Amino acid sequence: MAEEILREVGRLIRGISNRHVDEWKAAGKPVIGYFCHYAPREVILAAGALPLRLRGAGSEDSSSGDAYLSGRLCTFVRHVMSLAIDGGYDFLDGEISLNSCDHVRRSADVFRKKTAIPFHGFLSVPRHPRASLYGYYLEELRKLLAGMEEHFGVKVGPDELRGAIRQINANRDRLRTINEMRADDRPKLTGAEALSIHIASQVMPPAAFVDLADRLIEALKARPGLDTSRGRLVMVGAELDEPAYLEAIESQGALVVADLLCFGARSVLGPLDENAADPLDEIGRAYFFSSSCARMIGDFPRRWQELKDLYEKVRGDGVIFERIVFCDPWGADLHNILHRIEQEKTFPVLSLTREYNIVPTGQVKTRIQAFLEKLEIARAQQAASGGER
Amino acid sequence: MNRNDIINKREWREIFEALPVVQGFFGGDPDSHGINELLRNIAVYLEELLAHVDDGKPFVWYNLGFNSELIYALEGVQPITIELLGALHSLICNSRNTLDFIDRAQAAGVPADCCSADKLAIGAIHKGLYPPPACTVGINTPCDAQVLSTQVMAELGEAPFFPIDVPYYHNEETILHVAGQLKELIPFLEENTGRKMDIDRLREACELSNRTAENIWEWLDWRKQVPLTQSSKLVAFTLLLQILFIGSQKGVDITEGLLREARERTGRGERFFEERVRAIWYQDAVWTDLQIYDWFERELGLTVPVDVFGYYANEGVIDTSTPDTMLYGLARKLVNCHPMARQFRGDIDFYVKDFMHMLEAFNADCCIFAGHIACKHAWGGIGLFKEACRRADIPLLVFEFDMFDPRVTSYEDVYFEVERFVNEIVWPRKQRG
Ligand code: SF4
Ligand code: SF4
Repeated sequence: MAEEILREVGRLIRGISNRHVDEWKAAGKPVIGYFCHYAPREVILAAGALPLRLRGAGSEDSSSGDAYLSGRLCTFVRHVMSLAIDGGYDFLDGEISLNSCDHVRRSADVFRKKTAIPFHGFLSVPRHPRASLYGYYLEELRKLLAGMEEHFGVKVGPDELRGAIRQINANRDRLRTINEMRADDRPKLTGAEALSIHIASQVMPPAAFVDLADRLIEALKARPGLDTSRGRLVMVGAELDEPAYLEAIESQGALVVADLLCFGARSVLGPLDENAADPLDEIGRAYFFSSSCARMIGDFPRRWQELKDLYEKVRGDGVIFERIVFCDPWGADLHNILHRIEQEKTFPVLSLTREYNIVPTGQVKTRIQAFLEKLEIARAQQAASGGER
Repeated sequence: MNRNDIINKREWREIFEALPVVQGFFGGDPDSHGINELLRNIAVYLEELLAHVDDGKPFVWYNLGFNSELIYALEGVQPITIELLGALHSLICNSRNTLDFIDRAQAAGVPADCCSADKLAIGAIHKGLYPPPACTVGINTPCDAQVLSTQVMAELGEAPFFPIDVPYYHNEETILHVAGQLKELIPFLEENTGRKMDIDRLREACELSNRTAENIWEWLDWRKQVPLTQSSKLVAFTLLLQILFIGSQKGVDITEGLLREARERTGRGERFFEERVRAIWYQDAVWTDLQIYDWFERELGLTVPVDVFGYYANEGVIDTSTPDTMLYGLARKLVNCHPMARQFRGDIDFYVKDFMHMLEAFNADCCIFAGHIACKHAWGGIGLFKEACRRADIPLLVFEFDMFDPRVTSYEDVYFEVERFVNEIVWPRKQRG
């Protein structure tokens, strides 16, 4: 039964760890937390460690994070760091931070000075995905790998990297199938459910995920399709690992049929070559040149095109943009998206500013309701004028 | 397009009208060579800008993490830093326009919680106030806020955009990485401006840059003297110098003015106030009204010999022997000397270390962390910074404000915070020895 498997997914992502992580640790293998999509999971896995995406799930308040990072930083980062400072992430054998944004960059300082985690990796990811900057990123990956080899006493060769590529490819393959099912005319699952599965794929061993996803895909086939007549939405924006947020949106009647979220479908790269002669280079290129994040400057035109293509592909009715308060990179994209929409009259958009760990309540739901009504009116007008959907 | 299209815009007209008044005001003190040279050279720059518009010559836009040498090295190309109008209106205390820019940026979708320095730039671009660029250059220093302004500049500038990546680390690879990008930038600039980079001209720009830097280093040495004999607020202006005037004669003239003033005032043993307390003003200057520093001096005996905008680290002059050595030197200045870019892009240890160095070198008694609300990297380090100050037993004042928007924290509230800190904590402690 799909419902039962989805409940299992819910249990796996409820907190920052789960039984699969416990089992991995019990087998004497290390777990490494990482902050951002630009830290390739394949590299961590090849070093024999379980890559675990850092999250703030289960954090009840962010006071420890606030003390070090102030109340002026994004609440996603503050909750993650509150857990870390209070020892919640002490089970980690290492963490990898990046210069993704100033918030994550400052967390690296706190990780190093205020937690008991023994290994600290860092990646300085160039701010623009052009060919001439790629060499720097590849070198960063090499150094990270060397650091892990030294710390964990392992040797990582091309075979280990190819093995890791195979495993993560299998994950992505399942996620692509799920994303196709959610974009159907009558989707087999909600946006909140789809997001949950994407999150699960980043917090459990790849083999266990493949097993879970295969069971789910099979069970979904038998599930009746969902009604999208109140609106097919595409979501885009920053860190969002809270399915409850999407549930609240969908509770108003529309469905999120696709997304370009960092925890969601944006992390699903195309398949990597499993037989690449230089597998580290294969990994580096895939991450560096793939779907970009708002922290990449001068790459907005590509992100815009990607959003438009996705919207077309899934026959969207509207876009919801979400951003955590205080986030500058996504603040820039919000401005640019609004600017393009004004110029090109592409699609209706609703911009939501949110705080981590806060599920939309009355006021936000009313805004979503109003947005859906706007979409309905537009559709009715189009139908009346004989236009197609 | 000609100069009238610029001058007739209210936001420009008010600058042109106010500049002579401000010049007259400061010119009342003929010994204020620093500020007088600054104002004179702003006027020179603005006249050049108008002449360029008349002649249809190309402009290159960039954000505040970049320096102007490479642009001056291209014959007939004029640099425009997109924060220019906001900075000028702040300088002439015309907050009506700065607030207008901020509001305009927000109306266009820039979130309220983003940095007002970016909003000044974005608002001015939205209002179509700058002559259109032949191309734009964006650099990711000093902080994420620049990611915002460069992304929007790239979008609204409607011209080819070249991003420069500055890594996190303070090491040789970082300098080489940036130098490599400057090498890529040259053909980009040449292609889009239609001007050829002449090596002799580049050398000349680097030599002017070196003279400017040497003057600043010497000037900062004068500011280490106790008591301070020049105005505290002068230090906030030096950032504009790096961004817009370095690599030109204007940079040399301004710094010579500053240096001459420091020498003369110190030589005469001038003191127009009783110095009681010296503070390192870490983080952002009160750009909404720089006169506040005069008030601090006169009312509280508080001086600010240096702040993070005015500190220009001495990491060596540019070696002008070959094109590569020049690009290396320019890259080193961008990442290791440029105020803020130096301290803000890497780990907190470097930020703390620079502060400790300034505290000692400038004989300061305390730290004033003037926390510009949208400065995420700074606030993100506040816990560890406070711990470092506590360990070193340094009195620290932390407060929130917005450097361009007095609606966030009023002038009076900023003054009140500083007054309480100086009178109730630092001065009594200093008297106790
Ligand atoms: S939103 Fe961007 S910077 Fe943040 S984690 Fe995702 S990829 Fe990294
Ligand atoms: S949401 Fe924005 S501020 Fe928060 S971690 Fe991501 S990019 Fe950084």
